[in-house]
Amino acid sequence: MSVVDPSRPAASTSVSPALRCEGLTKAFQGVHAVNGAAFSIPEGQITALIGPNGAGKTTVVNMLSGAMKSDSGRMFIGETETTGWPSHKVARHGLLRTFQLSRELGGLTVLENLLTAAPNQAGDSLVNVLLRPGLIERQERENAERALQLLEVYGLYRHRDTPARELSGGQKKLLEIARAVMGSPRILLLDEPMAGVNPALIDVLGGYIRDLKKDGVTILMVEHNLGVVEQICDHVIVLAEGRTLATGRLADLRQNTEVVKAYLGEVMDASSAD
Amino acid sequence: MTYYVFTLVFFLFDYFILAMGLNIQYGVTGILNFAYIGFVAVGAYVTGVAAMPSNINGEHYILGLGLPFPLNTLLGGIAAMGLSALVALITLRRLRTDYLAIVLISLSLVLYDFCNNYVSLFNGADGLYNVPEPFAQSLGLGANGFIVFFACLTGVVSLILLFVMRRVMRAPLGRTFRAVRDDHVTAAALGKDTFRMQLKAMMIGSFFAGIGGGLLIQFGGSFNPTAWLPGETFVVFAVLIVGGAGNNMGMFVGALLVETLLIHLPAFLPEIPGHPGLIEYFDLALVGIVLMVMLWVRPQGIVPERLRRTPSFGVTPKLDDEAGELDRTTALAGVKVAVAGTEEAR
Amino acid sequence: MTLFWLSFGFGLVTTSVLAIAAIGLSLQFGITNYVNFAYGDFMALGAFFAYVLNNQLLHLNIWIALPIAALLMGVFGVVINRVLLGPFARRFKSTHYVLIVTFGLSLVMLNIIYSIWGSDVRFYALPLGTAHHIGPLLLTDNQLIVMGIALALLVAVHTTLKATSLGKSMRAMSDNGTLAMTSGIDTKRITTITWFLSGALAGVAGTVLGISEGNLTPAAGELFLFVIFAAVILGGIGSIYGAMAGAVVVGMSTEISAAFINPAYKLDIAFVALILTLLIRPNGLISRPGLTT
Repeated sequence: MSVVDPSRPAASTSVSPALRCEGLTKAFQGVHAVNGAAFSIPEGQITALIGPNGAGKTTVVNMLSGAMKSDSGRMFIGETETTGWPSHKVARHGLLRTFQLSRELGGLTVLENLLTAAPNQAGDSLVNVLLRPGLIERQERENAERALQLLEVYGLYRHRDTPARELSGGQKKLLEIARAVMGSPRILLLDEPMAGVNPALIDVLGGYIRDLKKDGVTILMVEHNLGVVEQICDHVIVLAEGRTLATGRLADLRQNTEVVKAYLGEVMDASSAD
Repeated sequence: MTYYVFTLVFFLFDYFILAMGLNIQYGVTGILNFAYIGFVAVGAYVTGVAAMPSNINGEHYILGLGLPFPLNTLLGGIAAMGLSALVALITLRRLRTDYLAIVLISLSLVLYDFCNNYVSLFNGADGLYNVPEPFAQSLGLGANGFIVFFACLTGVVSLILLFVMRRVMRAPLGRTFRAVRDDHVTAAALGKDTFRMQLKAMMIGSFFAGIGGGLLIQFGGSFNPTAWLPGETFVVFAVLIVGGAGNNMGMFVGALLVETLLIHLPAFLPEIPGHPGLIEYFDLALVGIVLMVMLWVRPQGIVPERLRRTPSFGVTPKLDDEAGELDRTTALAGVKVAVAGTEEAR
Repeated sequence: MTLFWLSFGFGLVTTSVLAIAAIGLSLQFGITNYVNFAYGDFMALGAFFAYVLNNQLLHLNIWIALPIAALLMGVFGVVINRVLLGPFARRFKSTHYVLIVTFGLSLVMLNIIYSIWGSDVRFYALPLGTAHHIGPLLLTDNQLIVMGIALALLVAVHTTLKATSLGKSMRAMSDNGTLAMTSGIDTKRITTITWFLSGALAGVAGTVLGISEGNLTPAAGELFLFVIFAAVILGGIGSIYGAMAGAVVVGMSTEISAAFINPAYKLDIAFVALILTLLIRPNGLISRPGLTT
């Protein structure tokens, strides 16, 4: 693997990339957080987005998910251009994201958090609420069954009726992921899912993420913990100073002098956890 | 005596309706609508000019359709709803909380100022009067009889509206409203169009406001700007917060305590000689103080928002509460099916 | 003496009153990050304090009563923040609560003013001045003094912000409160001083409003509040210079428009300006980031 020309998205292993961006820039009050990021994410694989602090990773994720507008550049989900789409539109198109600092819907119960994520709810329409209660009840039942199973998988079943604000930090992390999975994503953007997580839970979370891949979900995760990246990611993209520096497999990238230089001052070591 | 009691009963039910309307906007969806009383006023005025005949001597107003109850009141509700949609389109899209509150309170003041000055609209500062009392003639009701009748009628209307509101709040729509309230960034990240949700909440709440206003004007037979200075919005907020924002039972309790007991009961106390209006001033100041105390001591209100437990559809997951060895593959297969299924649905 | 120039003159006076009020509001908003909806009532209370000193219990010259009233309102502002608003702002993460509290404070203050002074219209005992021809304008002594006060205050505020360490600290807090706190700025002290200034400016604004309108009523401050809001939003909320600019635009446009349309609606023109600002340039003329969604 060699350094890729940053202006050309890397070739992917499947037919067309699940997610692609080119020439993304974003500046905050004159400072360029992102300055020409471009990459593509292969379908059905787990890709890591790594880079030193300040490289612009979270900003890129924010732009890809529609939470922030890019100053310039374009983004695509499959063949559809999503540049400038607001986050709810991106989410409805199958790209869901989690947040680095868990954003639970505090006043809702754990189950309600998941139910909120269920896609295409007829019950969101006032007309349906007034005129088609039967349809809504049926959908709610289906969604609830699925949600409860998901909660069981993620070990949160016994907290299903707990207000989400009362969960512990680790539980909130689990909820964050479970909720995103509930939304039936085609692409899942995880923003530092392991940040602040204790080592035992890291293994569990890693397992969940690998299982999602088996279910055909394309995953892009921003991550500092290179040990995790090594274990579960197929593909790595390195971001530095707001642009794509290199892509490839982690082992190869460790040999890459440019990448190592970018990380200078940070320990680029398998055993380093954040 | 009946006059006193049933006037109180009327205001209890009417403010119950008003509180439910503000509740769906603020308590459930988190929109700080400081212009709420403006929508109540629009409902009152439109109901009035819909009910009144085309011309009454000495009064200037638009429309004058001579429509009967409940058509006139429904028109009032729809007018308020329409205005709220317009306001939401201009303001909600662009503004965050305190900026929005400023614009809304300014709107309330401007509406007030405008209605006060533009006489041909709703008769200016004099307001509308001689508004027909529904069914008074057909049922042959005297003054007292009408009050009893209309208080009960308002009660019935409030129950119907309560039924509607409960349906909304228990539906996914209500849950989405609360998600928007708790964290609109997350709600959007989960696919909810937060602006449309806020717009819906505004419209539903304003419909209630309009109906409440329409009932007000028909109960009293008149309505003028002094009835709706922006401070009146605050009284509705007080009902909400004292009773318990976010749930309908709280609205009733709040209406009982604030509107009926605090506001209207003292209105029947005799005036203090030499100081006209003093009781009313103290009263309103007291409402303000009560609210502040309540916010500090028990911000969730007397009736806190209810936790929504898992409904029993007869859903039994295969695994029990105690963490045994989980057959994750099977459970996740269920997830996979769901993922694939909805993919096809797209 | 055309109607236009007459209105222009009124415009200058209104702008002066507006500018004083708008700066007071902006200063406080910049530091505390929430709007004080009782600000109009602060103005009214200040005006009534001046009334007591000038034409009720005492009979001081209005221009002496004015600074005393301002002082009293400054103290009032500090006390309200210490006792009520500060604790609420610190306790709840969402600003909803403190906003509702200021709304409630407005109701309480208005009704206490009504209880004490009733709803009758009151008047200041103003010295009879002469009208002066200044170019095409016709302005009375009192109007000129009001304008002078406004100008002096503007200059004072500007100097303080730019040249003193207090001003620097205020600007720092206004930009980024947490950063200011961790940089060793005594945020409590700055907050107290800001509330004092805000209250004092409200007191001045309320009194000069009463002087320029020719009468006082308890609700006058509240009704004027939305004109202040229009000015502040037009200028860009959070920016002092925006507030000044907004005051000029709103003050002049409302008065001059009164020459052409029914004067009863001149304040509504302010609202139209506000809506137009929202539609065209929601951040205002001189904007700060982070104020729109």
